[in-house]
Amino acid sequence: MSTFIKDYIERETINRRNFLLATAAGMGAMAAPFAFGGGARAAITDPAIAWSYRDRASAYWNSVVSGGETFVESLGKSKDSLISLINEGSSEKSLADIKAFLAKTGGKCAIACDANDSPNARPVVEAVRDAGAYISTIWNKTDDLHPWDIGDNYVSHMTWSDEKPAEQTARILFDAMGGKGGVVHLGGIAANNPAIERLNGLKNALKDFPNIELLDAQPADWDTTKGTELMASFLTRFGDKITGVHCANDNIAYGVIEALRAEGIENMPIVAYDGNPEAVKLVMDGKLLATVFTNPHWGGGITAALAYYAATGAFKPSEEPKEHREFYGPTILISKKDAADFKAKYLDSVPSYNWKDFWGPSNGQIKYK
Amino acid sequence: MPRILTRENAIRWAPFLVLLALIVLFSAINPSFLSQRNFARIAIAAAPALMVAVGVTFIIVMGSIDLSMEGVVSLTAVLFCFLMLAFGGTLASGGWIAIPIILVVGAAIGLVNGLVHVRLKIPSFMASLALGFVGTGAAILLTGGDIVKFDDPTFRALLTWRILGFPLMVYVAGLCLVLAWFIQAHTRLGRYFYAVGGGEDLAHASGVRVQQVRMAGFALAGFFYAIAAILQVAKLGQAESVTGSNFMFMSITSVVVGGVALWGGIGGVWNTLVGVLIVAVINNGMVVIGLPDFLQAAVLGLLVIIAVILSTDRRSVAFVK
Repeated sequence: MSTFIKDYIERETINRRNFLLATAAGMGAMAAPFAFGGGARAAITDPAIAWSYRDRASAYWNSVVSGGETFVESLGKSKDSLISLINEGSSEKSLADIKAFLAKTGGKCAIACDANDSPNARPVVEAVRDAGAYISTIWNKTDDLHPWDIGDNYVSHMTWSDEKPAEQTARILFDAMGGKGGVVHLGGIAANNPAIERLNGLKNALKDFPNIELLDAQPADWDTTKGTELMASFLTRFGDKITGVHCANDNIAYGVIEALRAEGIENMPIVAYDGNPEAVKLVMDGKLLATVFTNPHWGGGITAALAYYAATGAFKPSEEPKEHREFYGPTILISKKDAADFKAKYLDSVPSYNWKDFWGPSNGQIKYK
Repeated sequence: MPRILTRENAIRWAPFLVLLALIVLFSAINPSFLSQRNFARIAIAAAPALMVAVGVTFIIVMGSIDLSMEGVVSLTAVLFCFLMLAFGGTLASGGWIAIPIILVVGAAIGLVNGLVHVRLKIPSFMASLALGFVGTGAAILLTGGDIVKFDDPTFRALLTWRILGFPLMVYVAGLCLVLAWFIQAHTRLGRYFYAVGGGEDLAHASGVRVQQVRMAGFALAGFFYAIAAILQVAKLGQAESVTGSNFMFMSITSVVVGGVALWGGIGGVWNTLVGVLIVAVINNGMVVIGLPDFLQAAVLGLLVIIAVILSTDRRSVAFVK
């Protein structure tokens, strides 16, 4: 038998077993309120902790997981005690892994999770609730799914709104352009939510600058090479009309800077997004006006901490206000005047966070359009 | 007097005519397309891609396929940056040693590719695709997902130093193209590529050591991928595990659009040059004429199909697989 078929049968068998276990646990959970006279489940002592995320190859997720590891170390555990459930961009694997983890720990666990895509968040949190475990999510969930509707087991959801910070970088850009001229936007993959929000931010800022024209906005797919080639084509099309460049992320900005250098153009005002170490250095050198940092390290640690402390009963989610259940993550604008401070504080050494200060750096309740 | 307007001639020159037609079309819509500065921009975009496409041309002429280019370019680009930084960080301080080392590394990876394909009898499609993944994986492992910046002004002169309006890297790519043409037209190895691609059994029966030729072809392709990696680093000033992205589509498309037949034995590096220019001109032109971004991918696909229809002699092929 081919290993593919063998693995498939094995996986399905485990899934079926998990399903039965989860169902049993779910019935148990339903019965629990009656047993305890309508109160919540007893707190879990020493819950197992897992992070479910996409992959380890990107700097972003690496940083998220390093935050999770720092958090478990703050509990006196070893790094390895944080279980990585890597979904490789598959929602099916995300759900299957989480169910397997719930079955293995008998529901005595706390999970931090990005559900990979929005529709997958509901089955994930329902499986966690049915097993009596605790979960906090980031990024992906549908707008109609709320932690308070699921109960204490769905502790919190955090996401980042890119519209406001992208608007701030646009304002910095427009001021540097002297409030007049032409700007081009090099965006992310057109259908990605952050790409849409970052372009919207630019458009919002444009309303206050009537003398600035948005010459064109085209996707550069978050990619450096695409960024250089798109910028070169923009130069042919618009020439000297371009007096400022708004990039959807740092990688694109690296490409733009190189395309301009090839033409001997220095000192073009450029803004970016993501706050990568290389971009922060470019800001310090004055080659980039501004970028935005979303602190993935803190996000990774605090999401695990929220699920963990809710599981241990350190706080009761349903007693918290809604802005503590659904909230925006931090965004830090980095411009020339604060770049050196930022680098010293966040990049040269990772700051130590108080993992019980759940909402300190957060950014207000999520608003739906 | 030989007739000029024969069917063979029409097919031979079709890719070039497609290129001219595209230039006329884009220039008519936006005259600034037809400027020396824009041609320099197109040339910069095309130079690394041309090196990848030239490498894969040899493989396609043999009737095989090589899909390892993305991984090989990423890995050699990352290694090149690390080596450069290890040797002092500038060309002058001894970093130049990195250039021959990386060319050898590229050829060695290609040779491994050829060995896996020939000795383990794995189809070139699968062997090279798998090895490409290994290359990308190794690049991720080396960089940990981070970017390696390399910004030596002497090395970056490849991009910033211009002769007659074109950056140095364009001339380097041109020289390498001439080298590739020399190998193709004036060496025994070059002729063997065509012999193998035209009919492997016949070549074998005529005493060509087909397996060695195949391995040499893959090593040569790896060598050209390494040149592409060096030019790409010169162009971007950095390397990362995605430096080689998009080269697979770009190079295979260019080779086919230029009139090199995927079934082997037909076409050569000049076809590839025209093909790379066609794809680069389309990519640049679509933005220059202001085509909305949601149409660009579709238009690129359609233009590629049209270019292939015009530039390959399909009447002589019994079947297409």
